[in-house]
Amino acid sequence: MSDTGRNRLMLAIALVMAAIYLFPLYWMYITALKSGSEMFATPPSFWPSQPQWATYAFVWESRGMGRYLWNSLIIAFGSVTLITVLGVGCAYVLARYRNVWVDVGLFLILMLQVLPASLMITPIFVGFSQLGMLNYPRLAVIIAIAAKSMPFFVVLVRATFMAVPQELEEAALVDGNSRVGAFFNIVLPLARNGILVSAILIFMQAFGEFVYSKSIIQAVELQPASVGLNSFMGPNTNEWNNIMAYATIYVTPILAIFVLLQRRIVSGLTSGAIK
Amino acid sequence: MTKQIELSGVNKYYGAFHALKNIDLSIDKGSFVALVGPSGCGKSTLLRSLAGLESISTGDLKIAGELMNNVPPRKRDIAMVFQSYALYPHMTVEQNLTYSLRIRGVAKAEARKAAEEVAATTGLSQLLGRYPRELSGGQRQRVAMSRAIIRHPKAFLFDEPLSNLDAALRVHMRKEIRTLHDRLGATSVYVTHDQIEAMTMADHVVVMKDGVIEQQGAPLELYDKPANKFVAGFIGSPAMNFVPAVVGEDGRSLAVDVGEKQTIVLDRQLQPGRKVTAGLRPEHLHFVEPGQGVFRLPVGIVESTGSATYITTSTVAEVTIVETSRRPVRTGDVIDVSIRPADVHVFDGETGLRV
Repeated sequence: MSDTGRNRLMLAIALVMAAIYLFPLYWMYITALKSGSEMFATPPSFWPSQPQWATYAFVWESRGMGRYLWNSLIIAFGSVTLITVLGVGCAYVLARYRNVWVDVGLFLILMLQVLPASLMITPIFVGFSQLGMLNYPRLAVIIAIAAKSMPFFVVLVRATFMAVPQELEEAALVDGNSRVGAFFNIVLPLARNGILVSAILIFMQAFGEFVYSKSIIQAVELQPASVGLNSFMGPNTNEWNNIMAYATIYVTPILAIFVLLQRRIVSGLTSGAIK
Repeated sequence: MTKQIELSGVNKYYGAFHALKNIDLSIDKGSFVALVGPSGCGKSTLLRSLAGLESISTGDLKIAGELMNNVPPRKRDIAMVFQSYALYPHMTVEQNLTYSLRIRGVAKAEARKAAEEVAATTGLSQLLGRYPRELSGGQRQRVAMSRAIIRHPKAFLFDEPLSNLDAALRVHMRKEIRTLHDRLGATSVYVTHDQIEAMTMADHVVVMKDGVIEQQGAPLELYDKPANKFVAGFIGSPAMNFVPAVVGEDGRSLAVDVGEKQTIVLDRQLQPGRKVTAGLRPEHLHFVEPGQGVFRLPVGIVESTGSATYITTSTVAEVTIVETSRRPVRTGDVIDVSIRPADVHVFDGETGLRV
């Protein structure tokens, strides 16, 4: 097969795959706009005949989405702040020192990443309850998410730091700066992009976090949007259009951020490769 | 002459690896010293130890008379030019130049004035607002130099600063650095693996190998009287020819082994029968009329650079001759070659030390 032919075939396969991946998203958007009877029509319609825009306002009001999203934001910002403050220093040290203990540390960090949240939640819950942390459920969730997502952040940011040449730091030392000064003046500004991108990825993860929030936060008024969405669904649910409208309101801002920043995110993730 | 940098008995270990072995070196104020040697010889480690980027394991290091063993780099008042230039990519040329001043709390206007003055002397005046990524290799090199100059440090340390430039620019910058050094009356330590750079720029050349100083002295002293076979082979281009030889029975001649035994006359008396290595610089071997030479050598390869012809013989110990006359010579010819007795270097056959 010629090169062009092969490229076209590859493109066709890519398009089909993308369509499969994106179909649920498409289904969410159109279902949110369908009326009750259109939702259950056979064969299903792929474009709403009479878009029901009022659904959004109804769901926002009736489910109290403002409060849920506010809680999600608090949890996401809290986790990102905690992870960034603690993770940057950790990543820097792991990037600059090479010895057996660093390798051991890195291995342990990656091990943490392997453990699923659903496995971790039981010991975390018991531990937090012993410490009385369950009285501050959102803080407890923030700490749990920070513990869960830190490895991911550290590994990404470490790669960013490794891309900053050590000679720059040495030049700053000879120029009269201390190690700490060189870190804040030279290394941190140069690693800023990678740190920002990693923080955004963490933010998106934390914004959609479910397992810890569901288990730790009992009070409805403190629950984030992911838990709110879950409580919307029951065994006899049939208001799929409302659920989809909820989901749409929940994910569209994140999707928008991702689409707007995706070029920077991708280049940030591969920043080690290009100067 | 006051000593600006003094090293005595300096050793450096990386775990079990002995990187610097008993280094004794003193550098006069205002002199230009080149540290030269093959890669891995410890020259960069020595330079980084001077800068304080590496700590020394034992021995004393003094800068301007003060003991500096445990002083951090920022308090040593030295400036360093890195091989990669290490310009701060997120700062403009002006910010790069004034960084060290700003750290020391120099007023903004004053720092700016200093940057403009230095930029004027290094031809960067038009480039102060640019970022390093917008500069050519030569311009970056100049920024790196200017950044060092602006502080008037006690010593300049150069870590192979020209190795990223193309050949023509390298020759040009060589002169420029030396001129700058003379004008500032600075003390400079210059690391290079290129013996030509060391020979042309420095007042004092230090040849290192495996963490040991093999020889140090004025450039021509190293060329004329190399202390051992290593220095002899390292200094000079093309490299010195080494031929196994035995001292003749009269003690004043050498039977050299270039395929067949041939005899050359010495200008000094040596112990008869001693096994030695004769060192013959290519530029000291001259191509002469048949019957007038001390050697007869079969020609292997002939290469011409225009100004000179490099003749490599087809003997077992290859001998290279640099001939500046345009006398025609072809592969397979047998030519007569002479050398002045004073130009014959003799090294001990076992230790390689100069005899």
